[in-house]
Amino acid sequence: MSTVKINGKEITVDDGTLILDAARMAGFEIPTMCYHARLSKLASCRVCLVEIVGQKKLQPSCVTPVMHNMEVLTESPVVKSARSSMIELLLANHPLDCPVCDKGGECELQDVTFKFGPRNSPFAEWKRRFNEEDYILSPVIVQNTNRCIQCKRCVRICAEVVGAGVLGSIGRGAETEETSFVKGYLDCDHCGNCIEVCPVGSLMSRPYRYKSRPWDLKGVDTVCTYCGTGCQLTVQARDGEVLRVISKPDSGINNETLCARGRFGYSFINSHERLVTPMVRVNGVLEPSTWDEAIKVIRQGLTGAIKIGEKIGGIASSRFTNEELYLFQKLMRVALKTNNIDSSSRWHTGTVRDYVDIMGLKNGGVSIYDALKADSLLIIGSGISDENPVTDYIIRRLSSYRKMNIIIVSPRGLRLDSSAAVSIRHRPGTEAEVIGEISKVIEKSKDVSKDKIASVTSADWGGTGSAAELIKTSNSVSIAVGNDLLRTPLQLSFLKTFVELLKGLGKDVRLFPVLDRANQRGAWDMGVHPGILPGYRHTDEEGLGCDGIIEAALKGEVGALYVAGEDIISDFPDGGAAKEALSKVKFLIVQDIFLTGTAKMANVVLPGASFVEKEGTFTNQEGRVQRLRRLYKPHGDVKADWEIFVLVGEAVGHSFHFGSVSEVFEEIREVAPMYREINFYGLNGDGAILQAAGSADLYGRLNKSTSTPPSPTLEKGGVFQKGAGNSGGGEDPEYPFTLITGNHLYHSGRLSLKADTLRDILSEAIVEISEEDANDLRINEGDKVRVKGKRYEAALTAKINKGSMRGVVFIPENFDDVHVNMFFTKGEGYPKVRVIHPHPIPPPYRGREKGRG
Amino acid sequence: MLSEVAVNEIKDITTRYPTKRSCVMPALYVIQKEYGYITEEGMREVARILGVRPVIVFEVSTFYTMYNKKPVGKYHVQVCTNIACSLLNGEHIVKVISRKLGIKVKETTTDKKFTLSTVECLGSCGTAPMMQVNDRYYENLSDDKVEEILNGLK
Repeated sequence: MSTVKINGKEITVDDGTLILDAARMAGFEIPTMCYHARLSKLASCRVCLVEIVGQKKLQPSCVTPVMHNMEVLTESPVVKSARSSMIELLLANHPLDCPVCDKGGECELQDVTFKFGPRNSPFAEWKRRFNEEDYILSPVIVQNTNRCIQCKRCVRICAEVVGAGVLGSIGRGAETEETSFVKGYLDCDHCGNCIEVCPVGSLMSRPYRYKSRPWDLKGVDTVCTYCGTGCQLTVQARDGEVLRVISKPDSGINNETLCARGRFGYSFINSHERLVTPMVRVNGVLEPSTWDEAIKVIRQGLTGAIKIGEKIGGIASSRFTNEELYLFQKLMRVALKTNNIDSSSRWHTGTVRDYVDIMGLKNGGVSIYDALKADSLLIIGSGISDENPVTDYIIRRLSSYRKMNIIIVSPRGLRLDSSAAVSIRHRPGTEAEVIGEISKVIEKSKDVSKDKIASVTSADWGGTGSAAELIKTSNSVSIAVGNDLLRTPLQLSFLKTFVELLKGLGKDVRLFPVLDRANQRGAWDMGVHPGILPGYRHTDEEGLGCDGIIEAALKGEVGALYVAGEDIISDFPDGGAAKEALSKVKFLIVQDIFLTGTAKMANVVLPGASFVEKEGTFTNQEGRVQRLRRLYKPHGDVKADWEIFVLVGEAVGHSFHFGSVSEVFEEIREVAPMYREINFYGLNGDGAILQAAGSADLYGRLNKSTSTPPSPTLEKGGVFQKGAGNSGGGEDPEYPFTLITGNHLYHSGRLSLKADTLRDILSEAIVEISEEDANDLRINEGDKVRVKGKRYEAALTAKINKGSMRGVVFIPENFDDVHVNMFFTKGEGYPKVRVIHPHPIPPPYRGREKGRG
Repeated sequence: MLSEVAVNEIKDITTRYPTKRSCVMPALYVIQKEYGYITEEGMREVARILGVRPVIVFEVSTFYTMYNKKPVGKYHVQVCTNIACSLLNGEHIVKVISRKLGIKVKETTTDKKFTLSTVECLGSCGTAPMMQVNDRYYENLSDDKVEEILNGLK
């Protein structure tokens, strides 16, 4: 500990604390421009200069650590004068076009000048001018470098946090300009974090440009609904229209970092395609109707199905709030007396149960920051850089501060590979074999190979040795397990065995779920699963999951199906089967905010609210409960989804008595022990992590099942065949590629497609292929290729992923133009496809005449 | 597309430097030799071959005056106007050349033969004033000597 005197005030701080931080702790304000708490230190702006008694020169407080008995002055005349001069120099070249600058009113340069700056300036020279017209850097980023103050925050965040590294310092000296390669279009994440950290109006958001002044915006702090990371964001609207999304520096796990989806994916809220009234099918045609009419039809439909004893099912999106999912579950189980309920149409129900078990979700949450304190981090089953971009950003940022061995097990090349110690590529569905091999090496301490990126084929298991060595030498290991493992009936027992092995070696092991839907964990917590009740009690009799419901519907056994927020036709692996199944459902209720393909088949369509139009809580992948806050009342005849569930429940004769979301939350607290300590109104920016709670007998059944290896995952009515997920077997020369799917970096689920801004970034499906395969097939980036499956064929734009596994292609699941789920066949696991280049270009002619020297 | 010779030259450079990033400067000289100046395509090629981000190559190429950002004439006349040369009439030499070629600094003659630039110290202060034409130093310059040198360049 060091004791320092700042402006005469004594304060004791940890050794190595920066003067800036110590002064702020002591209550003194030191202005900064280039300093950013979560980026590397630059000390170039010199605005934070302070006087250290006994030293001749002023020192930048943002990089100077305190020393014991140091005496610092932050408000001495010499500091004040130097500070003012530094700001004056920044302003000397700043255009001061504040009236037309988007940053006006929230500009750090304005604020610092107002508080500490000169009151006049002797500079009469011309200001340097880089550009007459703004640089359009991306569909979402626009730049006016005349305003740039060369703080390099954008350059640093792009390289250090986002990992894209597409911004740089061009030129030298006073003529330095922070911009992109040849000032052209960026090939980047379009995440806009550079906009967020820009202290002035150099980097600006294109969709928000000239839309509003910051003080005219009304905003609420809420949670992003695009993935399981659970970023805090602030949605701001003017006159009932959402105009932008920002994120605050000191709130949430993301600390002002967002991805393209979170920052620019809001425009679906304002979409004209939104459903505004309930719709009822009359004489075969869906027609706008009223709530009274719709509820009447639902009552008839549901009670009719109950009367004749037909199966009833419910599928709810894991983008609903905990309260809504709890009510939905209650509606299905209590009012409609069925366990046929599920929260995703994409996953294998039995595998989900194993996952929940093995990950120990009932034992409460683990903060990502605790999980990332481990010596080694193993990431498996997740295209984390695309699926959960901000989780990727957090890992990259933390791994640059401290040594953490990152081991990535994935078929696809990921952005995070560049931060990884070892990246293991494997065939989709062979995760168990990779982990098995790592386990073997750990047990036997075999020789290790030194390959950084190794391809795993049946003969070559390189990379696993290095991974095993890193894990062996680590005291603590965190394992991030993604939901790609849920797509096939893979035996997750390998994970359990692996964790036991590590624990047996005395390692501190933490399991960390990586989930692609914002409230997937909440959905399981709330019991939206055929075999799990709220709080992870087991049902007495397991119902049908989504795959089971589809199977039953195909046989014509489903009398009524309630689909809320899911587009089964587009998501279910085997779109054709889903469509046929839904057409055989006698009474179909769809609740959504858009008229999806599934909704078009419904008997009744109910218009739900978007996330800014309702209250509630989300539980992110960590197990952190955060609050969604309502920005404004929904437009039109739209109701919050929880209100709709209450209405439907009452229509079928069950009284719900919930007047508000917090009342539902109170009931959740009673039923789900992990939520017992959480106070709905006490949830602030950082939310609250779920606690392990509850008595042994409450979990008795579940404990029993975890004590033995999970049973084989093929279940009654299951769609997939056991072991079918392992596609590493026989090669089919006709279809040499294995197709995998997931979310694209710019899109999530089906909702983001309705956001114009994200469509501007990417509006049509791509097919990602490894560099080696692309070379073999003479495919260049951007070529139109055909992907042919056994039953479906599509034309897509090729994208080359340098780090991907040979023989694997990836098509995102988000697009309307290519129904990727049509490639899938029930019971086949990962489909095999063929990639055809219709117009291959011959190898380039390399003998071009040499330029003159 | 970069010639195979140039690609191999850059690949050879990578064997002599500790990191990929440190190869950027010598690789850019290869580009300059190939195209006469630093082209966008050239920078992309360097980035691709070295496996660094294109913007890093762009940063380096714009930072140093030795890399030509625009096409230059057959002979690139670079006159030092740093302190030692300036004290010994370096600025005057610039004027003499400018008059003789009929171009201002940073300009190229219409026949694309000569480009005139002023540069910072080339480390030849002992023989000031001096200039560099392409890769060759011409030292202890005088009006007549400059005249003679330029006449000799065909």
